[in-house]
Amino acid sequence: MAFVVGINIAISLRLLGVGEQQALPAFRKFLPLHWMACGLILASGIALLLAYPAKALTNPVFYLKLAALSMGLLITGWLHRCWLQDRVLTRPRLLATVALLCWCLTIGAGRFLAYTHSVLLASRYF
Amino acid sequence: MEQVLLDFSQTTGIYTFMNSAWGWPVVESLHFMGLCLLLGTVGVFDLRMLGLGSGIAYRELHRLVPFGVAGYVLNVITGTMFLSTAPDQYLYNPAVQTKLLLMLIAGANMLLFYRTTAAAVKASSPKAMLGPRARSMAAISLLCWCGVIICGRLITWFRPPYHWCFWC
Repeated sequence: MAFVVGINIAISLRLLGVGEQQALPAFRKFLPLHWMACGLILASGIALLLAYPAKALTNPVFYLKLAALSMGLLITGWLHRCWLQDRVLTRPRLLATVALLCWCLTIGAGRFLAYTHSVLLASRYF
Repeated sequence: MEQVLLDFSQTTGIYTFMNSAWGWPVVESLHFMGLCLLLGTVGVFDLRMLGLGSGIAYRELHRLVPFGVAGYVLNVITGTMFLSTAPDQYLYNPAVQTKLLLMLIAGANMLLFYRTTAAAVKASSPKAMLGPRARSMAAISLLCWCGVIICGRLITWFRPPYHWCFWC
């Protein structure tokens, strides 16, 4: 998680103007690590979901987290594509701000998931 | 110790806030954002020193480190809020003790880095491979912070009965 969100925060901060702008596309060298870490969070996330499926799926906060996470990853994927094709970003600051918000929301929602569930096991309905 | 921390938490109102419906998860979220800031800047710089992302200037990448320091400060504050609100869950918890030890090592490593190698690293050319000292310091830092995160997550799996751990 820290590598996924961390690298995304670093990229967003650079997009927001911290550090030299030209070297930004070189940041894509960190992205393979980012996607590897994504694979890890996907695997561990699925494991956690399988452990208590009813707990997460009945909680609206889970869908908020999923939406924010997908949005954040879509932005990163789009950045990655732009860099690979040497395209210039049109609204880097807006993109970076939205991405940062998405990541904060993902983490916040993820933490609240541990406290807001109304159903722990589906077996209570059987 | 336990009582001192608890008194601090109760007199400052942290205890009441942390035990409210939103208190603990909000502070926990902030704690996680702080760790992401730290690993996303310091951790990325460590990876850069280990050779990843050749072509990114050390000096430029290092400009992100203050954000990591901000994340660290945030986590010390939020961490103190956890610790002082439920000291019995932390003080006797081997995961906490290991975490603090790793933080200590990371801190000493950082002090040593800024005293001996940081200036030379920042002056290095973006394509240059760093010497073994800088790389080993980067590896220590990265391992320590990953270990800190792992221990932090393990804290919730140990609910020690009082004075439980084997070296207390």
